[in-house]
Amino acid sequence: MTDKNTNSEKMDDVQMAAVAISATIIIFFVIYWSIQIQSVRDLLEMAYG
Amino acid sequence: MSTSSTSILGTYTKTITVVALVLFLLVFSFSGLRRDIWLELYEFFLWLETTPFGLIGKTWGAVFAVVEAFHLLSMALLGGAVIVSDARLLGWVFTDIPVQEIQDKAHRVFVMGLIVVLATGVFMACGVAGKLYWLPVFWYKMLALATGIFFVFFIRKPMLKGDIDKINPTVVKLVAISSMLVWMTVAATGRWIGFAGS
Repeated sequence: MTDKNTNSEKMDDVQMAAVAISATIIIFFVIYWSIQIQSVRDLLEMAYG
Repeated sequence: MSTSSTSILGTYTKTITVVALVLFLLVFSFSGLRRDIWLELYEFFLWLETTPFGLIGKTWGAVFAVVEAFHLLSMALLGGAVIVSDARLLGWVFTDIPVQEIQDKAHRVFVMGLIVVLATGVFMACGVAGKLYWLPVFWYKMLALATGIFFVFFIRKPMLKGDIDKINPTVVKLVAISSMLVWMTVAATGRWIGFAGS
């Protein structure tokens, strides 16, 4: 097995950290913007029925 | 002759830092400490309006507008650098140019844009600090900005400085997508501030 293959299969520290922070960002993004979109929908519903 | 405990901490320093920061932010967000610190910061925000930046920003609308123009232009520069470098990582654009070359050049542009964004942003914040303090979206923008800067300099840049072919392709794509999302949030919440409050 070459060095290149081992590296691509086994994640090092920075890659694991990248996965952790990326997952956090994506989860936060989905929750935050879902709440904002829902609040706009509620406002529009209150205004126009 | 290192012990196993020190080798684990040494090997996974970045991962442990990220997890610890995320846990700290979660605990901080749902604790009374967040409110206490927010209340403590009120005097500081009022003081910002009395600084020379704050006085200029409040007194001369034209100066504020010109600085804001540079803020938006540098944001466009920063956003362009993010889109180009992340789209290249995803294999969407410039596939005939080596990834590393795009990353290095885009990062230089990104840093220039970030410096101007921060400098002009501080000036603008001083002028409207009293308003910003009460806007939840401002605090979300600061959170997104801090996350973006941390992400770029602590994770993205160190990860991509070596041979990108050696990195797990899924991780590369994940980093590219989350990078675009975090900077899009910074831009969107920034523009939102302009429309929020009075």
